[in-house]
Amino acid sequence: MTSVTLPIPVIEANRLILRAPLETDFEAHANFMASPRSGFVGGPCDRWQAWKGFASGLGHWVLKGFGVWTIADKETGSPLGKAGFINAPGWDEPELGWHVYEAAEGKGIAFEAVTAARAYGAQHFGLDGVISYIDPANSRSMTLAERLGARFERNGELLDKPCQVWRHPKIGGDS
Amino acid sequence: MTLIPRLETDRLILRAPSEGDLDAEAAFFASDASRFVGGPMRRDETWRAIAMMLGHWMIRGYGFWGVEEKTTGAYVGHVGLWCPEAWPEPEIGWTLMTGFTGKGYATEAALAARTHAYDVLGWDTAVSLIAPDNAGSRKVAERLGAAHETDYGHPAYGTLQVWRHLGPADIENGGMEAYA
Repeated sequence: MTSVTLPIPVIEANRLILRAPLETDFEAHANFMASPRSGFVGGPCDRWQAWKGFASGLGHWVLKGFGVWTIADKETGSPLGKAGFINAPGWDEPELGWHVYEAAEGKGIAFEAVTAARAYGAQHFGLDGVISYIDPANSRSMTLAERLGARFERNGELLDKPCQVWRHPKIGGDS
Repeated sequence: MTLIPRLETDRLILRAPSEGDLDAEAAFFASDASRFVGGPMRRDETWRAIAMMLGHWMIRGYGFWGVEEKTTGAYVGHVGLWCPEAWPEPEIGWTLMTGFTGKGYATEAALAARTHAYDVLGWDTAVSLIAPDNAGSRKVAERLGAAHETDYGHPAYGTLQVWRHLGPADIENGGMEAYA
């Protein structure tokens, strides 16, 4: 027998938990991927494409030992978006990525989730001073990156699409 | 915690898909031979396809195995049990790398997968989705005793034939009854 599930760690933040994506999160994920809001993260796409992305996101944890969490409301458990680390073929180095669903927009949820994910990655995955790829038209993500202390580093490319590369500050592995 | 069981047949080992399968899978998916199973696709897409196979195990509790030749350890392809979004019902699937077809490996591995589906997972039926022009796969389905039942319109792959496999009760040896 081969174990394929790393116990995906749970991170507790103030109002949120970051936990393993569950099958019950798929509807929210598919709705997001069907909406124009997903334009900066590879969408919009149909349910089939959305499921492929959802399942491969889980497999990423198995193959790399780190990955992307579901951001969930601490009280209700409902999914609000995703945040975590990606390093698949096509990526220059491990990336800290995020997106939040419409209902979670404008409440500081992405900031709280990404801060928690970034600290966890530095502490447990040896991923410190990582990059974020940001679509040149995604001003909201740039604003958040600035708030997180990240800085524009260069214009790059991700999967044949022009992308800005932003660099996060090193926050230390034992903070 | 999801566990991927390791299965053995006469000539093959079925084990968890791994990143080490990427070179073989990427070469296959770069070729025209992959046109019946969602290809051709790029190497980065093939990596995500392997990640998806692992994610499928975590979501469904079953999935594709990476198949190796017992004597050489060579990677033969992926065979297993598959039901992602947009599938009409759970299927037995097989994709063999170029150079490993024509040896009866697909049939041998698919039989092991079918036995696992019926005896371990308790399925009472199974299908295989086959592209209409995929004569090689149709032969495997026939050899397994399956019959073309209907067609299914997949959102990305277009029309696929639905082949219905023998059910547990149809199988005299190796089915549920053999273990009763």
